[in-house]
Amino acid sequence: MNSEKLDELYGYVQERCLWQFFSRSWDRQENIDGILKTATDILTGEPPAKETPQDRLFYADAKIMVADFKQRFPWIEEAGAAQIRDLMHGLKERLVDITITNSKNGELHHTLY
Amino acid sequence: MGCEISNKERAGVINPMYDCQPAGAQYAGIGVKDCIPLVHGGQGCTMFVRLLFAQHFKENFDIASTSLHEDSAVFGGHQRIQDGVMTLARRYPELRVIPVITTCSTEVIGDDVEGNISACNRMLKEEFPGRKIHVVPVHTPSFKSSQVGGYSECMQSIFKTITTAKVAPTGKLNLFPGWVNPGDVALLKRYMGEMGIDATVFMDTESFDSPMMPDKSISTYGNTTVEDIQAASGASASVALARYEGATTANYLQQEFEVPATIVGTPYGIGNTDAMLQAISRITGKSIPESLVKERGVAIDALQDLAHMFFANKKVALFGHPDLVIGLAQFCLEVELEPVLLLLGDDNSKYKKDPRILDLKAKCTWDMEVVCNADLWELEKRVKDPAYKIDLIMGHSKGRYVGIYNNVPMVRVGFPTFDRAGLYRKPTMGYAGAMELGEAIANTLFTHMEYNKDREWLLNTW
Amino acid sequence: MPMVLLECDKDIPERERHIYLKVDGEDTRDFLPISNAATIPGTLSERGCSFCGAKLVIGGVLKDTIQMIHGPIGCAYDTWHTKRYPTDNGHFNMKYVWSTDMKESHIVFGGEKRLEKSCHEAFDEMPDIKRMIIYTTCPTALIGDDIKAVAKRVMEARPDVDIFTVECPGFAGVSQSKGHHVLNIGWINEKVGQLDAEITSPYTMNFIGDFNIGGDTQLLQKYWDKLGIQVIAHFTGNGTYDDLRRMHKAQLNVVNCARSSGYIANELKKQYGIPRLDIDSWGFNYMAEGIRKICAFFGIEEKGEALIAEEYAKWKPQLDWYKERLQGVKMAIWTGGPRLWHWTKSVEDDLGVQVVAMASKFGHQEDFEKVIARGQAGTYYIDDGNELEFFEIIDLVRPDVIFTGPRVGELVKKLHIPYINGHGYHNGPYMGFEGFVNLARDMYNAVHNPLLKLAATDIRGETATPVKEAAE
Repeated sequence: MNSEKLDELYGYVQERCLWQFFSRSWDRQENIDGILKTATDILTGEPPAKETPQDRLFYADAKIMVADFKQRFPWIEEAGAAQIRDLMHGLKERLVDITITNSKNGELHHTLY
Repeated sequence: MGCEISNKERAGVINPMYDCQPAGAQYAGIGVKDCIPLVHGGQGCTMFVRLLFAQHFKENFDIASTSLHEDSAVFGGHQRIQDGVMTLARRYPELRVIPVITTCSTEVIGDDVEGNISACNRMLKEEFPGRKIHVVPVHTPSFKSSQVGGYSECMQSIFKTITTAKVAPTGKLNLFPGWVNPGDVALLKRYMGEMGIDATVFMDTESFDSPMMPDKSISTYGNTTVEDIQAASGASASVALARYEGATTANYLQQEFEVPATIVGTPYGIGNTDAMLQAISRITGKSIPESLVKERGVAIDALQDLAHMFFANKKVALFGHPDLVIGLAQFCLEVELEPVLLLLGDDNSKYKKDPRILDLKAKCTWDMEVVCNADLWELEKRVKDPAYKIDLIMGHSKGRYVGIYNNVPMVRVGFPTFDRAGLYRKPTMGYAGAMELGEAIANTLFTHMEYNKDREWLLNTW
Repeated sequence: MPMVLLECDKDIPERERHIYLKVDGEDTRDFLPISNAATIPGTLSERGCSFCGAKLVIGGVLKDTIQMIHGPIGCAYDTWHTKRYPTDNGHFNMKYVWSTDMKESHIVFGGEKRLEKSCHEAFDEMPDIKRMIIYTTCPTALIGDDIKAVAKRVMEARPDVDIFTVECPGFAGVSQSKGHHVLNIGWINEKVGQLDAEITSPYTMNFIGDFNIGGDTQLLQKYWDKLGIQVIAHFTGNGTYDDLRRMHKAQLNVVNCARSSGYIANELKKQYGIPRLDIDSWGFNYMAEGIRKICAFFGIEEKGEALIAEEYAKWKPQLDWYKERLQGVKMAIWTGGPRLWHWTKSVEDDLGVQVVAMASKFGHQEDFEKVIARGQAGTYYIDDGNELEFFEIIDLVRPDVIFTGPRVGELVKKLHIPYINGHGYHNGPYMGFEGFVNLARDMYNAVHNPLLKLAATDIRGETATPVKEAAE
């Protein structure tokens, strides 16, 4: 059940989100961590962080993504906080796997831009 | 009143008139059938020149690059010549000629082009025993000469490589028109046909104006064959129409194979065309037919309507290839236009002694300025200068903004003319070309009068 | 298997690693084309050089800057009259190009004096212009001319001018891409941080990686004006040299072209802590998303929604008119790199168009990760494609329209396939809402061009199959 839902979220992110494809592994990790954390907060009713400029950008990306999630995947409104955290955790693992761990991009780990 | 011949005083260039040598070499190369030039240099040296040709002709031409990268700059690029030649030979089974065109980078690095071509020849012989591919060394460092010289250099190199033996007399005439449009090649072929002369035009670029066909076939390539080039040594004579573009090849054929060479004035305008036809008639013994006398008459008839009514006393600035600019200036004199500024765009020191320029100098009864090694900033400054009062600019599309932003009418002529449709199809040479050009000038002036509401009522009745 | 060795590549089998046919169920962990790798000599690749990546693509866009090209004449001649990036000051950038016109003696004895003289001449001839970029080229890099030293001398002699140097000869790297990189990194390290900005809005950003092709920048600027967002610098569409020295003053970097300009956004984040937001500026859906994100960042969501509603009301009906008529059209995209991933979904979602083949000249693997994630199965993804490959791919996928450069456009014309200028646009701008209607209109006019049917007709009696049907 969760796996189908996870597929849907993962499919959405792969297709639409440029932040997962930043130039270097650490940027990708930072974006995935930051945006999914903020999205989790939004979806579970926690106040998202908006302290730093980077927080606010994570918020901007997460906000639009969550709105799309709600529009495309109505089930997400029904999901409980635990399920959301579960799904977001799974989503994060899959994104990290495809864009970092098992990425064939040979430039991902260059130390300079 | 007089004619001043000078050089641009600045060291640098603002808005160049010509591209560099390798660009000209590529233009000569694509005139050969079953030929893909291989430019030994950075990729931009090829990509942009292909784009330039595409802009002018609205056609694609095949030109390859050795794709020089950093390692070649350090260790030499010879392997890339060999890889490039072999890759082309393998993937293009019809290929028969590969001019290897050097650039600034590979000349500075000092790659041994001849040595590598020898290696290529050995490899080709081994891998394709039944096939002859002529690999031509063309030395065209970008820091010498210009596209004008590069065209000439590549033409000569192709002949030096392919025309290696004196063949039996063919009775043909070699015709070297220089860097001209398909419309000019078509005209010259027609003229030769009407005179009953079996001529070979080098390079035969008539099909650079190529069709969209129901069978989707592509025929956008030069029509000069390896056989044509080989047979040039058996021709009865060579006639070169452009002193700076192709005349050296005519001279080479004379020196090596005793094919008598004649260089005529580039046939822009009536008088130059007369002289060309008379020279060819003298050389071949064929008379000038009635049809050309009539065509000449039609052209003069048309120009007669324009010259003293509209053209007289109009001050003209000319820029472009040297043979073109000089020829156009001569044409201007025929139709009462006043060429006041001739811009020649490279550092060839021979321009100043060109007999045609000296002749213009003797003839003109107004101030005329010839600027050698000029750029288009020289044009722009003079167009903006109220002392000059230039009425008309004639030149290629790279000067378009000078006309547009200074509200001076401009006739596109030469290469490239990418901002006007179909000019490559029209002749500029010959009687028909003189008429086309004269009418283009008139219509440009008329349009300008209309859009500026400047005596546009003159045309209310004409 | 999905890496493809085309028939025409049997003699250059290494090309197999550059061409990918996506199959359902696969992703970029399985296959990712090799890219940003050396080109095989003699393949008739489409690539340009790194010098042009710096001069023609980025630096030469600036509307107030002399582009001094230190080299033989061709490098200047060739990077002039090949772009459509207007400016609001009469297109200074497109009207002029400058060269030191290096000749043999300067190659032998060094060209620094000539460069210095040319710089002074250029400033003397155009006294209103006070900014300059000097570029090395292949030969001046090989002989080791010190252009930085020359720039310093000229700046000392002329206190009111500022000069930036780009040392990126054409042979550096493997494509234009290297030139983007050199210019980006040089600029952030040498010029950003030099000038203060007059802040006129609580919301400030840089717009990065948009070169005002066909007027893109100027069109998007209307949105930023409506939203009350101050654009500190446009990198570099319709931009000025000095604005680019103020980039550190922005609160946010919005990146469109991540390939040509991602580097400077990364560095602005690293050095100045300015966050980087990547958006797609082509397509309704994407443009709206980009505006929403920017507005969410600044906390001005209502303004963003109002703008989007206004633009949708104005342009969506026109887009839909074209969408209805473009359903199922098969499109190929053969451009530089990023437009592949910017466009593949937007034409699908907004216009119902199917992208069947995509070729990138200078994209990196990052670009292929993006485009393969977004693109369809059954579509070819090609790095550094060459002419024979294009013929073969056309046979395989039969596109109805190809977005590519003018030269390739002339080539495919003979095959009765219309092209749209995928670099300079046919009749742009193509960005933003209005722009995407322009793109749709141009595509509609291209595929419905009656001449295509006439071209296919053999008047001798055998009527060749019309192209549209042959493609189905």
